[in-house]
Amino acid sequence: MMPFDLVEPGTLREALALLDPEDSAVRAFAGGTALMLMMKSGFFRPKRLVSLNALAGDVASLSLSPTGELRIGAMVRLAELERAPEIRRAAPVIAAALRRHSNPRVRNVATVGGNLAHGDPHMDLPPVLIALGAEVEIEGPAGRRRLPVDGLVSGYYETVLRGDELIVAAIVPPQPRRRALYVKCTTRAADDWPALGLALSLEADGAAIRAATIVLGAATERPMRLAQAESLLAGRTADAALIGEAGRVAAAEAAAAIIADARGSSAYKRRLLEVELRRALARLLDLPAAGETR
Amino acid sequence: MSAAPRTIRFTLNGRTVAAEVAPQESLVTMLRDRFALYGARESCGQGLCGCCTVLVDGRAVSSCLALAALVDGRAVTTIEHLDADGTLDPVQQAFIEAGAFQCGFCTPGFVLMTRQLLEQHPDPGDDDIRHYLAGNLCRCGAYPEIVQAVKLAAAKRRGAAG
Repeated sequence: MMPFDLVEPGTLREALALLDPEDSAVRAFAGGTALMLMMKSGFFRPKRLVSLNALAGDVASLSLSPTGELRIGAMVRLAELERAPEIRRAAPVIAAALRRHSNPRVRNVATVGGNLAHGDPHMDLPPVLIALGAEVEIEGPAGRRRLPVDGLVSGYYETVLRGDELIVAAIVPPQPRRRALYVKCTTRAADDWPALGLALSLEADGAAIRAATIVLGAATERPMRLAQAESLLAGRTADAALIGEAGRVAAAEAAAAIIADARGSSAYKRRLLEVELRRALARLLDLPAAGETR
Repeated sequence: MSAAPRTIRFTLNGRTVAAEVAPQESLVTMLRDRFALYGARESCGQGLCGCCTVLVDGRAVSSCLALAALVDGRAVTTIEHLDADGTLDPVQQAFIEAGAFQCGFCTPGFVLMTRQLLEQHPDPGDDDIRHYLAGNLCRCGAYPEIVQAVKLAAAKRRGAAG
C-alpha cells in the first residue's frame, strides 16, 4: 500500500474536523475490513484515514429503551451485535442475519456504521434494517440529522452521506406484533457474498396480514423495497395461492433492477426471488411451503 | 499522527514492546518483520482464509486486514504464546492427536479460531464447528480430522475444567 496519513482522534468533534468534504481520498476508517481490501488492491489510495477506533461512549455502545427502541452506536462491532441480549430480545432477525455474515474474524472488527456507510449492495444488514423500519443518525458540521436507512444508499457503493458527515447510530423502532426473517442465498462458498438477500417483516395475526415490508438486497444496485408485493399482501389472509402470487409479483417488479454477475444470471436471480419469497412467507406465516413440486 | 512512521507500544504475547511502524503497514507484516513471529502468515490477503489469525484484546482478527499502527495500547497474542508455559494448549494437543493437518500452513489460524469457538460454545456440534470455521481454509483438505480435533479439544477442556 502507498503511504498515507493516519490519525486517531479521541472525540467525534475532532473526527468530524479531520474529514474533508472536498477530498474523496480523506476517509473515515472504522473496522477497515472493506476499505483495506480496496487499499491493498490499489483501488482506493487514501491521502488521510481518520480512524474512529478511539471513540467511546454512545457512538460505541448499544441500548434498548423501555419502549423497545434499539439504539446501536455506529462503532458497535457486528460480533457484539450478534451476541447482545438486547438484540436477541428486540430484533432477533439481526442476530440471525449476522450469524451468516462473512466470518467471525471480520465480524469481530467490522462495525455497524461502516457496514452502512460503505454502500455495498451485498451487505446483509442494510436490507434487514430497512425491513425493520430503522433510521440512521448522522452528524456533520450542521449538526445531527436522521434518515431512514432506505434513504441512505443512493446507488452502487454510493450513499447520500457528505464527505464531512459520519453515521453515529442506527435506530430500530419497537417491533410489536412483527415477525421478521432474512434469507441469504449464496451460490458458491457458504460465506461468499450473496446472490440474493431477502428481508421481510410482517405485522400479522395468524395468517391475517396487516402490513408487510419486503426488501431485496445483493441482486440489485442498492437495497430495493418491493412495494407491489407488499401491497398485494397487506390486508389479506395468506394462503398458498396468495404467497405464490406474491413471489411472482415480486420477481416481476424487481426484474428490470436485477443485475447479472458471477453469482448468477438475471433470470436465475428472478427465479430465486420468486421461490425464496414464497418459502419465507410460508415460514413466517406457518403455512405449508406451497408449490414445492412443479 | 501523520504519514511519518510512529512509535507504538503494545503488549505482545504478555510482554510490553515498542515498534516503529509506517501508517500503511499491516499487523501481519509487523509481526513477521519486526518480531520474527512467523506463525501468522498472509495467504489470501482478504480475510477469507484465516492463516493470518491473531488475537487483539482477546478477539480473533485477520491481521492482514488490520493496520499495525492501530494496535497501539492493545494486547496482541499470537500462536507462539500458546505454549509459553512449556505445555501445549489442549487445542494444539488435540490437533496433533487427531492428525488434523498435513503441511501445517493453516494450522495456527485453525487453532486460534478453535479456542475462540470453544470459549463461546464449550460443547459444539458438527454444524457449529463447520459454520464457525467456514472462514478458515485448509488446502490439504484435513477438514474431517479438524472437526474431530475440535471435539477432542472440547472434551479435553471440559475434563480440565471439571
